[in-house]
Amino acid sequence: MRVYESEVPGVGRKFELELTGGTSAVVVVHHDGRCELFRRDGPDADGEKILDLKGEQANRLGSILEGAYFESVDVDSLSVPLGEAIIEWVEVGADSPVAGETLGSSKIRTETGASIIAIQRGEETVANPDPETELEPGDLLVAVGTREEQAELAALIEGST
Amino acid sequence: MAAETALLEVGVMFAAIGAVGFLAGRLGLSPIPFYILAGVGLNEFVLGAAGLPAVSNGEFVQVGAELGIVFLLFFLGLEFNLDRLLADRTRIGTAGMIDLVVNFGVGLAVGWLLFGALLPALLVAGVVYISSSAIITKSLLDLGWIANPESAPMLGVLVFEDLVIAVYLAVVVALVSGGGDVWSAARSVGIAFGFIVLLLVLVAAGTALFERLLDTPSSEYFILRAVGVTVLLAGAALAVGVSEAVAAFFVGMAFSATEYVHDLETALSSIRDVFAAVFFFWIGLVTDPFVVVGAADVILLLVVLTAPAKLLSGFYGGRAYALDDRRSLRVGLAMVTRGEFSLIIAAVALSGAGGTLPVETAETIYAAAVGYVLVMSALGTTLMGASGRFERFLPS
Repeated sequence: MRVYESEVPGVGRKFELELTGGTSAVVVVHHDGRCELFRRDGPDADGEKILDLKGEQANRLGSILEGAYFESVDVDSLSVPLGEAIIEWVEVGADSPVAGETLGSSKIRTETGASIIAIQRGEETVANPDPETELEPGDLLVAVGTREEQAELAALIEGST
Repeated sequence: MAAETALLEVGVMFAAIGAVGFLAGRLGLSPIPFYILAGVGLNEFVLGAAGLPAVSNGEFVQVGAELGIVFLLFFLGLEFNLDRLLADRTRIGTAGMIDLVVNFGVGLAVGWLLFGALLPALLVAGVVYISSSAIITKSLLDLGWIANPESAPMLGVLVFEDLVIAVYLAVVVALVSGGGDVWSAARSVGIAFGFIVLLLVLVAAGTALFERLLDTPSSEYFILRAVGVTVLLAGAALAVGVSEAVAAFFVGMAFSATEYVHDLETALSSIRDVFAAVFFFWIGLVTDPFVVVGAADVILLLVVLTAPAKLLSGFYGGRAYALDDRRSLRVGLAMVTRGEFSLIIAAVALSGAGGTLPVETAETIYAAAVGYVLVMSALGTTLMGASGRFERFLPS
C-alpha cells in the first residue's frame, strides 16, 4: 500500500493512498487543520468529496480509525463520581517506578494531587495507608482525585512521565 | 484632527470588505473581484461623483495595500519549494516553459502593438502571463480536482510562474522606478540584482540566524519578530528602488528553511488575509471605472487573445504530464484565471506614471489590467465549473 505525499502551495499537504481495485483515497490537510477527504474510483475517474472536516473533527475521526480513541465508557476502569473528584483503581506494574517505594517517598500526593485512600493487596485491604506503607508490584491503589489528577497518577505509576 | 475621519474611513473600508467577502462566500465565488468592486464602489470616481463622501486614497490604505503585496509574496516564498521544483524539473520545466513562451510572447506582441515601446510591452506581457494561484487553488478544492492527476501540472506551472515572477518583478520595478535612459535603467537593474544576491546569501546562510530569531515560546514575540524582519527588509528594498515584493519573497524563502514554517503559516495567514484584502480594495479605490470602460477595446483584445493562449499552453502543459485530452483541457481551462499578481504588476505600472511611463500609457495599462482581471477571474472560474460541456467536444 503506497502513500504519495505532496504540497499544495497556499493550502497545505495532500496525501494519496492507493486502495484495492484502483480506488484511491485522497486527503487534503489544510494549514489550519481543516481536512478534506476525496475518493477516486480509478485512474480515469474524478475525485469525489466525501468529507470536509474541521481540525478537531478530523483528529477525532483519525483517532477512531487508528484505534486509539478512548473516551467511550470503559467498564474495566470503574469510577465513582464524588463531585469534581472521582475514585479510580490503578495497578502497580512490576516495572513501575514506584514499586518498592513507600507511599511518602513515591511523592504521589505532592506530584499528582491524587490521594491513595486504600491499597488492595491480594486478599488483604490496607485501608487509609500511612506514608510509610511500602508499594509492591501487583498492588491495586484506590485513589481519589479529579480527572486530571487521576490521569497524572496513572502516568506516574506507569512511569511514562 | 484628521484622524477622526480617517479612522471612520478605514472602518468603512473594512466593513465593506467584510460584507462583500460574505457575499462572495454565499455565492461560492472568489472574493478577490468583490474586494476590487467594493473599492470601486466607494471611491471618489463613483461615490464622490454622486456627491457623497467617498473613501479617500489615504496613507493607511496605501501602506496597507503595500503590506498586502509584501505578505502575499512572503507566503509565496514561504511555501515555495525549490526541492519539489528540482525533483520534478523535466515535467515542470516543460509545462512551465510552454506557458512562459506562449503567454509572455503573446503579451509582449500585443503590448508592443498597442504602445510601441518596450516597457509598456513588458508590463502587458507580465499582466497576461501570470495565472492566479489563489483563485485556481480555491477552485481546485471546490471542484475536487485536487484529488485528480490534472492538479499536478497546474500546481507545477504555478510554482514555475512564481519563480519567473520574482525575477520579472525585480527587473520591471527597477526599470519603472529607474531613469529614462539606458544607463540609469541598467544601473537600477544592477542594484536590484545586487540586492537579490544579498537576499540569496541570506536565504542560503541565514537559516541558523532565522531559527534563533524565531525561537521564543511566546506567540506574541514570534509574530512580531517575523513581521518585523519581513516588513523591514521589504521597506529597505523599496527605499533603494528594489521591488518590495521580491524582497518579501526571498525573506519568505529564508524562513521556509527553518523548522517554523508551519507556525509562521498559522500565525501570519490572518495578517496576510487582512492586508491582501486591503490591497485588492485599494486597487478598486484608485480605479476610475470610466477609464476602464474607455479601455474596453484594449481589455477585449487582451481577453480574446490571451484566454485561448492560456487554454492552449495549459493543454500542452497537461500533455507534458502525459495526461489524456480531457484532463489536459481542464488544465487549460483552469490556467485562464488571472488575478492577484496581474494586479501587483498593474500597481507597478501605475507607480511609473509621469516618470518612466507617460501618464496616459500608465493609466491605460492600469485600468485595462483591472478590467482584464475582473473578466479573467470570473471567466476562468466559470470555464472550470462548466468543463463538462467542453469535454464533450473532444474527439474520443
